[in-house]
Amino acid sequence: MPVLFLNLIKLLFLALLFVFLWQVARSIRSHLGSNPSAKAQGTGAELVLISGSADGRRIRLSAQGHVIGRSPDAEVTIDDPYASEFHARVGIHDQRIMVHDLGSTNGTYVNGRRVSAPTTVSRGDTVQIGKTILEVR
Amino acid sequence: MTRTVEAGFIVAASLLAAIGVAITEFTLGNWLDAQVLVTLATFVAAFGGLHVAVRRWAPGGSPLILPIAAFLTAIGFIEIYRIDPELASLQRWALVVAATAGIVVLWLLRDRGVAVLRRYRYVILAVGVVFLLLPLLPNTWPIHGATVNGSRLWVRFSLPSFDRVLSFQPGEIAKVCIAIFLASYLAERAESMAVAERTLGRIRLPEPRSLGPILIAAGAAFAILIYQRDLGASLLLFGLFILMLYIATARPFYLAAGGVLAIVGGFVAANVFTHVGRRIEGWIDPFGHFADSGYQAVQGLFAMGSGSLTGSGIGLGRPDLIPAATTDFIFAAVAEELGLAGSIAVLTAFALFLAVGFGVAIRARDRFRKFLAAGLTVVVGLQAFIILAGVLRLMPITGITLPFMSYGGSSLLANVAIVALLVRVSHEERS
Repeated sequence: MPVLFLNLIKLLFLALLFVFLWQVARSIRSHLGSNPSAKAQGTGAELVLISGSADGRRIRLSAQGHVIGRSPDAEVTIDDPYASEFHARVGIHDQRIMVHDLGSTNGTYVNGRRVSAPTTVSRGDTVQIGKTILEVR
Repeated sequence: MTRTVEAGFIVAASLLAAIGVAITEFTLGNWLDAQVLVTLATFVAAFGGLHVAVRRWAPGGSPLILPIAAFLTAIGFIEIYRIDPELASLQRWALVVAATAGIVVLWLLRDRGVAVLRRYRYVILAVGVVFLLLPLLPNTWPIHGATVNGSRLWVRFSLPSFDRVLSFQPGEIAKVCIAIFLASYLAERAESMAVAERTLGRIRLPEPRSLGPILIAAGAAFAILIYQRDLGASLLLFGLFILMLYIATARPFYLAAGGVLAIVGGFVAANVFTHVGRRIEGWIDPFGHFADSGYQAVQGLFAMGSGSLTGSGIGLGRPDLIPAATTDFIFAAVAEELGLAGSIAVLTAFALFLAVGFGVAIRARDRFRKFLAAGLTVVVGLQAFIILAGVLRLMPITGITLPFMSYGGSSLLANVAIVALLVRVSHEERS
């Protein structure tokens, strides 16, 4: 059988494999592009309570920020004995979502790590206050 | 719209399988054969059936998971067909059964979704453990365990009226059950495990009791190693535990502890169990043990080396010289006949699968669904890594199948079930 012909078949088949993969990869890109979390940060972001006292509650983030704590005077009150009266502040600064621990007793954790200075968070991150977990969406 | 894209990809992958079979027949000197059409029909029926099921019961699911699975299955099938057409016809039946199982999974979850899995998590865990233990059933029972190549991970049951013996690897199903259980367990417990209670200098240590799960994982992995002598399943299960703990808690401590335990455990196992020691010996110096423990690794290296950049062409190499070329060493067979280019295509497909799978996890609605998608993706990725690293001599060879590609009904069925679950999780993100 002519070697040239066999080589041609081989290369054509390999080319087909890569065309297939290339198309899949392109579709992944357009698929991700339509996903809202790929859009610019800081617009329409919200914090969602995903565990603890008020499961599913949503806090729409804004520039002036919200104080979260156990006190009824906090803008967002959570019923959590491990949280401080005024535990942490969340808000938007320079298009970035910031979390600021207000000297709480048990600390504020971003993705499981304790933070004391104001910290930038992005969508998908979790913020833990006492035993309550909030997710940035 | 996106579903139409999926249908297109599935037809394309089915055509790739058929073209591969046609090339094999052609290089063997036969002209167009019925096998080409049977292969095309099987792939279109299996993946097309799954596609229709997705349209009905998970229409919002990611349209890219099925195509990547179909692509990998197609390349694996071509190599199996080229090495042993008899096995390939069995694999076609396995594909039909696996697709049916995937459709059943989608159907079962049609109303209440994957949340159902969370409710029955202890039942699922029990099923997983029973499946893991099944191969230990005594040989005299009608359903009994069987030892193949020194590993006891098969279950056989005889059908005297048909004069056939059915065999399957329950461990493949068990890994899916365990991933589901871990996802639902960790979704509830991860918070308490993530909080650091003590500090040692700059390092924060978790409480001693959060070490418990790791020790259980290590114990289970060791038990499999001792009683079933199966290095691959042992490593896969342990790695799944550790990676899911890490995903759930985001604490590198679990990775470090798992890595140390794996190395210490591996060292002990290599010195205590001869079957592990031989694997290590054949890994470190395969050419020195060419006649025995290094033979498979060396044949694999020769095959990949002779493949060069674009391979010998399908049907023109000698992948049949590699022991277990249709199962564990299918990647070496692909590298020989499709060369570096073909192997990179396979690796790219696995990378895309991981990207899509973790993408589903990132966008999933809640922690359980996130952990479920991530865990199922980890099962596929880790299993592929373990066997590819073995074939490429990055790691000792641990007999385990390459997901979607290797010959084997149980493995294909488990991986198609994983695909069905992933599609369903990504559907629930949108609704």
